[in-house]
Amino acid sequence: MKKLIGALFSIALALAVTLPAAAATQGGKLVFARYADSLLLDPVYNDANVDIWVLTNLYDTLFLPTDDGKDVQPGLATAWQAADDGLTYTITLRQGVKFADGTPLTADDVKWSLDRAANPKNGIWNFLLASVDTVAVTAPDTITIKLKQPDPVLIKALATFNTAILPQKAYEASPGATDEEKAKAFAEHPLGTGPFKFVSWERNVSMKLTRNENYWRKDAEGKQLPYLDAIEFVTIPDDATRILKLQAGEVDGSEFIPYARVAELKADPNLDMQLWPSTKVNFLTLNVRPTLKDGSKNPMADARVRQAMNYAIDKDALIKLVTFDVAKPMISFMSSSTPYVSGNGPAFPYDQAKAKALLADAGYADGLDITSLALAGSADDTAILSTVQQMWSQVGIRLKIEQVDNATRTARYRGGDFQMRVSLWTDDIADPNEIVSYFADFKNIESMHTGWQDKKVSDLFDASLKEMDAGKRAAQYKEIQDIYMAAPPIIPLYESPYPVAFRKAVKGFVQIPLGNNIFVGASVEK
Amino acid sequence: MPVSLRYVVLRLLQIVPTFLLIMVVVFVLVHLLPGDPTSTMIGDRATDADVTRINAQLGLDRPIIVQFGIFVEQFFQGELGDSIVNRTSVLGLIAHRLPATLFLTAFAALLALFMAVPLAFVAALRHNSGVDGTIRTAFQVGLSTPVFYLGILLLTLFAAHLRWFPVGGYGETFGDKLYHLFLPALTLALSLSAVLMRNLRNSIVEVLEAEYVDFARAKGLRARVVLGKHVLRNAVIPTVTLLGLNIGTLIGGAVITETVFAVPGAGRLMIDSIYGRDYPVIQGLTLAFAIVVSLVFLVTDLVQAALDPRVGT
Repeated sequence: MKKLIGALFSIALALAVTLPAAAATQGGKLVFARYADSLLLDPVYNDANVDIWVLTNLYDTLFLPTDDGKDVQPGLATAWQAADDGLTYTITLRQGVKFADGTPLTADDVKWSLDRAANPKNGIWNFLLASVDTVAVTAPDTITIKLKQPDPVLIKALATFNTAILPQKAYEASPGATDEEKAKAFAEHPLGTGPFKFVSWERNVSMKLTRNENYWRKDAEGKQLPYLDAIEFVTIPDDATRILKLQAGEVDGSEFIPYARVAELKADPNLDMQLWPSTKVNFLTLNVRPTLKDGSKNPMADARVRQAMNYAIDKDALIKLVTFDVAKPMISFMSSSTPYVSGNGPAFPYDQAKAKALLADAGYADGLDITSLALAGSADDTAILSTVQQMWSQVGIRLKIEQVDNATRTARYRGGDFQMRVSLWTDDIADPNEIVSYFADFKNIESMHTGWQDKKVSDLFDASLKEMDAGKRAAQYKEIQDIYMAAPPIIPLYESPYPVAFRKAVKGFVQIPLGNNIFVGASVEK
Repeated sequence: MPVSLRYVVLRLLQIVPTFLLIMVVVFVLVHLLPGDPTSTMIGDRATDADVTRINAQLGLDRPIIVQFGIFVEQFFQGELGDSIVNRTSVLGLIAHRLPATLFLTAFAALLALFMAVPLAFVAALRHNSGVDGTIRTAFQVGLSTPVFYLGILLLTLFAAHLRWFPVGGYGETFGDKLYHLFLPALTLALSLSAVLMRNLRNSIVEVLEAEYVDFARAKGLRARVVLGKHVLRNAVIPTVTLLGLNIGTLIGGAVITETVFAVPGAGRLMIDSIYGRDYPVIQGLTLAFAIVVSLVFLVTDLVQAALDPRVGT
């Protein structure tokens, strides 16, 4: 059965390489304005979206995420086969692939890259390959991965940024005594097999890429990819300036358009305002420990209080006020773009009477006081919390807002010294395993530092990590979501798209729900 | 020669203790801030084990006094360590980013002088007239408008609508830089020129009423000579001091202006570093700003000494 899946997959892969057959113009340069610059262009040691979201333009993985972010398509691998026990994967590598400098890609590069990504001492993403025991080169075009336990997510992990394939020789020739020092040096002038080749980087100003002449991929019409000759990423942190530059035609695209400006840019005949479905969820994190850091009793330790807090928020009104109706309500704690999401309609529909009854039931008929951390200077935090404050006052919850800067907030949050905060999350892998390990499984980071724990959830989660049957995994994740949402240690607010605006002439840009900015099919039309 | 060598050496020596004090204060202050670079950098997802491991790699798990020792030792070796967030050398970052800020600050100071001096004269020579009132009111508006707001107004009008200037950035050649930095420099210059103009106007009014000016006039000197040699030279002394003192403020203003106009300067780097608790960069930049401000103060004193022989002996 597993073999069959592998075989079918390879046929699908042979046909696929899914780019729409639009008559795209070849050549030209695209200038894209980002809100912040990248920090470290190494797939293993990076820890921020500013890196993750652009890495795929430089490096390839064995498999590539599909445009809907839910599945994978062929990358540097053309086929895979799993043994019946699910413990051995044989992966066939694409032949004739070269790095951007013309060096051929070898199976040794693949083995070495995966070993580095799986090393528990390296970076914070090695958990994605935690099941890997050994990687071996078994033929010039074949690698064999042996697992410690069956892993239903292995193939998706091999389509995730941290398993990108790097040139071993060039990397090891980089200066530095340790692997991390070499990574830093190598990442100053990264080299991969991706659609674009790194040219230069002036930090916090601009990063220049040019087309990789050796790129292996063609579009559906057989035209060589990428279409663009060059991309320049410029860093413009100020929202208003980033938009002005786009309107003035000084840049071709701008990311992170504030929701307040989306309608205005949509109406601009020169611009194409795009809202990409995302895995981004916005929520309030609650501290559910019985006592707070100052020793006082924590009313939010009672699940009924947390349910009441949820019911007392009119999400539709909040979405209109804060996101100008760009976002939508959540049905679970994970986004509707995350595989295995389950739920019956919007979570905790607005119901003041129910909220009041729950509070009275919990002994808070006279109301209660909650303090939330807010990120100083964040328009979103202020808008969300002042709206919630007003809604909660209707049921007797008195919300105090405490403004702090990011570093202070992080320190207090990690130390459990908070009652509530505004948070957001995006998935990095097309599977619910990551979000569940962070949100619901206590042993990772105490369920997003809420302190919430549930043995049943942890057991279900551990089982799901080895469950190869998709139907059974779906059932496990459904049960996890049911338990979690009945005792919600968070308040799901809304899921919001990625807002990116381009000049009308720009076509073919894709941002997948995981956030990756994909320029391989982008073009600038005349 | 109005400025003695002894005076210059003394002034230079005064910078040394100031500098040592700044090193201690900035080190203590950044470490007193709540939060730490590691967990701020790796975000909410990091496990405690991740934080511990990365702290050890960065040497942030050592006692603070040891860290200070390393900082001082590095400093005397001409090194400032590596940025925690950007993961490159602090010296390289500063060398890369400071020139834009210095260019912007100098440009703004010059623009401010060009606006302030002629208008101060006009206002002073017709003091308490309608012209004087209009000029003073206009500058008062400039002074009281927040820098970021003024910046956005200028951007919207001159860059987005009229397209006379680029929306942001920093050019390659000198002329290109003047073109790119004109709006941000103007933004910065407006509030400073208001301060300078008021001050210079008042000094001119004062000097005009001084006996030696009456005497010079009585001698039959031409009005231009009286104004240039007697009035301006004496009236400008407090303004020079004020300009020097305000360079620090100007650099502070550059932090905001650089953000609005997307100028890749040291001010924006400072803001990012403070938010990221990037200790080595904050320390390095503070020292760099301290050097710049100390040198400006020194030059101010020297200029003042040259203008006023009573100073500088």
